[in-house]
Amino acid sequence: MAIVGSRRPSPYGEAVAEQLGLELGRAGVVVVSGLALGIDAAAHRGALNAGGVTVAVMGTGVDVIYPSAHSVLADAILAGGGALVSQFPDGTAPRRHNFPARNFTMAALSDVVIVVEAAEGSGALITAEAALDLHKEVMAVPGSVFSPLSVGTHSLLRDGAGLVQNARDVLAALKVGGEVLDDPLPTPKSLGFGLRRERDGILSHLSDVLALDASEIARKLQLPIAEVLGRLTALELDGAVRRHQGGYVRALRRGKERA
Amino acid sequence: MLGSVDSCVLAGLDVRRVHVEADIARGGDGKFSLVGLAATTVKEARERVRSAIRNSGLEFPNTRLTVNLAPAELRKQGTGLDLPIAIAIALARAHKAPPPGTAFLGELALDGSVRHVHGVLVAARGLRGLGYQRIFVPAEDSAEAALVDGLEVIPCASLLAVVNHLLGTELISAAQPGADVHASVEPTEHDLSEVHGQEEAKRALEVAAAGGHHLLLSGPPGAGKTMLARCLPGILPPLELWEALEVAQVRSLLGELPRDRPLDWARPFRAPHHSVSSAGLIGGGGGLALPGEISRAHQGVLFLDEMAEFQSPVLQALRQPIESGRVTITRSGGSVAYPARFTLVAATNPCPCGWAADAVRACRCTRAAIDTYQRRLSGPLLDRIDLQVAVRRVPLETLASEPCGETSWSVRERVVRARHRQLLRQGTLNAQLKPSRLRQLAGLTPPSRHTLERWSTQRGMTARGFHRAWRVARTAADIDGAEQIEEHHVLEALGFRLQDVAA
Repeated sequence: MAIVGSRRPSPYGEAVAEQLGLELGRAGVVVVSGLALGIDAAAHRGALNAGGVTVAVMGTGVDVIYPSAHSVLADAILAGGGALVSQFPDGTAPRRHNFPARNFTMAALSDVVIVVEAAEGSGALITAEAALDLHKEVMAVPGSVFSPLSVGTHSLLRDGAGLVQNARDVLAALKVGGEVLDDPLPTPKSLGFGLRRERDGILSHLSDVLALDASEIARKLQLPIAEVLGRLTALELDGAVRRHQGGYVRALRRGKERA
Repeated sequence: MLGSVDSCVLAGLDVRRVHVEADIARGGDGKFSLVGLAATTVKEARERVRSAIRNSGLEFPNTRLTVNLAPAELRKQGTGLDLPIAIAIALARAHKAPPPGTAFLGELALDGSVRHVHGVLVAARGLRGLGYQRIFVPAEDSAEAALVDGLEVIPCASLLAVVNHLLGTELISAAQPGADVHASVEPTEHDLSEVHGQEEAKRALEVAAAGGHHLLLSGPPGAGKTMLARCLPGILPPLELWEALEVAQVRSLLGELPRDRPLDWARPFRAPHHSVSSAGLIGGGGGLALPGEISRAHQGVLFLDEMAEFQSPVLQALRQPIESGRVTITRSGGSVAYPARFTLVAATNPCPCGWAADAVRACRCTRAAIDTYQRRLSGPLLDRIDLQVAVRRVPLETLASEPCGETSWSVRERVVRARHRQLLRQGTLNAQLKPSRLRQLAGLTPPSRHTLERWSTQRGMTARGFHRAWRVARTAADIDGAEQIEEHHVLEALGFRLQDVAA
């Protein structure tokens, strides 16, 4: 099972990838991804958190961790019983033209390719195309119609890719009957945001995909900007809100900071 | 026959007294020698003075003439000594004693008219400080000199007129003294009410103006960073008289003071291009250094657009002046110090192409390119910028529907009040508070301290960052008119720390 997507996802996409990695890892599925930033890393991380086995298909030599910041993640993958695999000789440095070939390998190694957030022309779409050529199943996670990161995934869905709302959808496609949680993508409320009443006002105006800036929030709530800034920072301290694209988005997981 | 007058030369904003002596010998070959460590521009004075005296219809001595510039160990530069040399010669011929408490300054044209020299205001203030009561300056510079209190300014149009004045045949009337203190400040070109939306950045501008904090605006092209920066002078209080004089002094040195209206009450706004050299930004040049952009921005705003495009050594050279509010530059001609207390507003794109943080347009930069770009921004200079704010593009279609918000005028009223509170309490703006005085003067309530410490641990903030956030919180409280720093002031201050988020 491959999970691929944007290297610069929205908090929503990152949360979905991690959640899918977690659920699938728990169900005993091997999660394949590309060790890249963003969706790839989130998928690996989710699988590892479930104690699952995950495989990183690399576009460099297996001894060249790219990006180098992911050496800790690579170690964790190996420690979890997973593997780092590469079709390139040891010592191959990251080269732009090697990555499409890597994407093809990733598709070949998997039974299903899930695309989580891909803008137009994203490398994840190359993986999806390769999967189709290899007669593998392609599935996609829907996103916001306002987000540029949904363009690629939505066009896949329009062209007949399977819809992924939760891990059960994926397992059904795999035809594996596993024990899956009822709702793999719980609403923020059930994630336990114990928020003070006065702060809910702001939170309910925020999206988890599209960044909103403090000016817009202040205007909608008819509050002075200084107060809105302070309250947003308080929510940020609590881990309920995150900065994204120069604005603010609702964080999907509580208290988890981005590295 | 001996004649002498006083004049001065400038070393930056320092004024050094020069005593000009002329001796006409009884005999000799008519040679004109100039002694006393004169630089080339001063040595050339011989030719100008000779022609000017002759063409004024005065007699030039045909015996041996010696002019001495004392003190001899001081190197003299500039053309301002032309007039005093000519006057010393004229006084020697006329056997007259120099007028007491009087100094002369001016360049001579070959026809005997007196020309503009740079730095007349600086010279006039310095000479006043040295105890002079009267100064002869080029007519076109007399408005500058007249800004100085308690100094009689005689405008000189030509050498002949000055000689006639000194001989008592035809007197020149003194220039009208005094600065026009009641001149009103014209409404600024850029008003905050013209900026639609962008409330967060506008609030940051207000905090920057109120506490003297430096500001970084980060956002995609077309987000309005330049427009916002240009609004800052308009929400700063107008210059006080002493501040306006400091600003005018720097301009006077560079010869940039407008003749008709030498004193400007509006805060300077300087926006050097990113190709600026270190000498252009900090100050420099051969011999004695001239003031750079940071000194022209003194008491005002220095705007660095596209900060990442500036050469790194140029940016690093800003560190010391930012801390001390002045800059000392040493060149072959000696060391000079210039004031450089400005509010820095830096603008930057989040990545080389500019669209990394944009919601609509996709960024085309590689991760490595973005990292390199941001690394160029980080480091010691960025560390000194208290307020760091993301600016987003307001979509065109909503631009018109966004409310305009407050005018610069009403924001300025709050800024003036907040500044007043700070000056009463501590005699300086919050941005310049040392950590020890901060602890003493800027009390945190227990919840405020808890929040600040919690953020600090969560985001790995340095001790310096901790104090910066504290100062900004103090300013937020001053805008509110609050004695104590409440939790919401701290929270607002932390909201302006983009650097803790991007890390």
